[in-house]
Amino acid sequence: MARACNIHHNNSRYVQASQRAIALIAEMIHTASLVHDDVIDDASSRRGKHTVNKIWGEKKAVLAGDLILSAASIALARIGNTTVISILTQVIEDLVRGEFLQLGSKENETERFAHYLEKTFKKTASLIANSCKAASVLGCPDPAVHEIAYQYGKNVGIAFQLIDDILDFTSCSDQMGKPTSADLKLGLATGPVLFACQQFPEMNAMIMRWFSSPGDADRARQYVLQSDGVQQTTFHLLFIQQDDYISSRVSNKKSGGKELLVFPLFPS
Amino acid sequence: MSLRQLLSRLPRCLGASGPLRGPLDTISSVISWRGQSSRSPAQWNQVVSEAEKIVGYPTSFMSLRCLLSDELSNIAMQVRKLVGTQHPLLTTARGLVHDSQNNLQLRGLVVLLISKAAGPNSMNASCQNYDMVSGIYSCQRSLAEITELIHTALLVHRGIVNLNELQSSDGPLKDMQFGNKIAILSGDFLLANACNGLALLQNTKVVELLASALMDLVQGVYYENSTLAKENRITDDIGISTWKEQTFLSHGALLAKSCQAAMELAKHDAEVQDMAFQYGKHMAMSHKINSDLQPFIKEKTSDSLTFNLNSAPVVLHQEFLGRDLWIKQIREAQEKGRLDYAKSFSSWEGQLYAFQAYESRTEVDGCICEGALDQELYLQRKKK
Repeated sequence: MARACNIHHNNSRYVQASQRAIALIAEMIHTASLVHDDVIDDASSRRGKHTVNKIWGEKKAVLAGDLILSAASIALARIGNTTVISILTQVIEDLVRGEFLQLGSKENETERFAHYLEKTFKKTASLIANSCKAASVLGCPDPAVHEIAYQYGKNVGIAFQLIDDILDFTSCSDQMGKPTSADLKLGLATGPVLFACQQFPEMNAMIMRWFSSPGDADRARQYVLQSDGVQQTTFHLLFIQQDDYISSRVSNKKSGGKELLVFPLFPS
Repeated sequence: MSLRQLLSRLPRCLGASGPLRGPLDTISSVISWRGQSSRSPAQWNQVVSEAEKIVGYPTSFMSLRCLLSDELSNIAMQVRKLVGTQHPLLTTARGLVHDSQNNLQLRGLVVLLISKAAGPNSMNASCQNYDMVSGIYSCQRSLAEITELIHTALLVHRGIVNLNELQSSDGPLKDMQFGNKIAILSGDFLLANACNGLALLQNTKVVELLASALMDLVQGVYYENSTLAKENRITDDIGISTWKEQTFLSHGALLAKSCQAAMELAKHDAEVQDMAFQYGKHMAMSHKINSDLQPFIKEKTSDSLTFNLNSAPVVLHQEFLGRDLWIKQIREAQEKGRLDYAKSFSSWEGQLYAFQAYESRTEVDGCICEGALDQELYLQRKKK
């Protein structure tokens, strides 16, 4: 995104140090949130390895997350741009609010999907969207470009999360690096589940009690695989991908940098 | 006079069990200062309310904006579920709500007082557009709030328990897990609010200062956790200088850097900022020393004295005795069940050290020379 904006603005293929710093900061914020999330979910593996909380205990894990966050904030301050600081601190707030959204649940079916999308945005997409926006702010002064960068990042983020949710049902743990059906075991109702619920209304009760009764998680998984929950989520995903592609083309008409932004996102 | 010079004049009484008032008579200001630390909570409350009048409003409502949010009512609801469990979060929450003696909003109050004391920078006109209430800029008030948010966030995060160290007396595992979850989320929520507040200040130097203070605080808490003395376990050999470094990280850094940041917001020069830093640092350190001293100076002779083997008086004691003799004495005391020897000796050492810290504060005092600051120091002296 940085390179695309730089090309657009002043024909420079060079990525500024400050834009590179944004990438680093985004990764650090993401890592800090993962470390905390693993303690919250009592997870034992992440990316194919043991989690911090399993090796060193919960206290150190929480402190480690805080340390990474503080390091990210220091780096952010050193960039020296107050707009960029505002954009990225918004991410931190969204991450926390996303976790809180996950604690609550909605009764109404239609509200549930909106709630799911909002939670997905806050937990996953906000980071990517705002990092793209921050990179574009550093590269180019045009607010229209900033907005396109933001929308692009947002769509990538939501798409990524939808794929993650699909894979939780369709793949096996070796490929994922973390155990599957993890969302169901945590009581979370993701995209495929919500779509499946339309065909199997008995899932409603399971969703309301957070899949806490014995056998709920397995039964829900069966329902999803029998229904077209995965297919519907995939369809939704392709919709977003298209949106993404269009916006990236619009922004890069002038500069020919569009080849950088076509993201192959094929659900396997 | 430095601590070393003082000690060279006084007889060294290793392991003496009698009271050591004689040498203390030579330091009359310390005695009167020490005597005042046993004043009542009512007087402390009075001091706090006088200080609050100086800054313009009761600081215990400082985070009202934060308190009214949905997330916090959600948290409150979840914390209520913890009632009846042994999770530390419940104690922390109780302390924050009920215990006004437990330095509720103390840091914020100090930041506000120093902001008012230093006042606007007469030489720099760029702050003229900022709004000012009771002599304090609104950005400085935000900063005070942010300081409290960071402090509270880490206080909450300190209460996380290691699940694999739980005993059956701690209660059901799922209660502890739930408590951990809520503690992490609440702490993160407070930190997120702090970060947003920092962003709104639109000053990158201040953001950097407070972010590095957070980093220091996290490291300090980490050291605190690793050197926490378990029952019947002797602590590591840390000298007083290591103690100073670690205590600076866990207690001093936040207040020191916030005071400096408050000066930066008013565009004061580097010299004033440095003074504010030193002031905040010594204020926090002397407060910690004072609380470390408490188990040793209480007049009651009840035998169940618990104190931290990593507190200042004990660390100093170890340094003077040499590690082997110290270990021997601690083990003896553990067998006997009473620690009078440590009490009388350490209280002398501890007070001398605390006096040195107080001395450094008075240097800063001299440099700044503001009426409000003098008044605040007077109030703090009354408390200590």
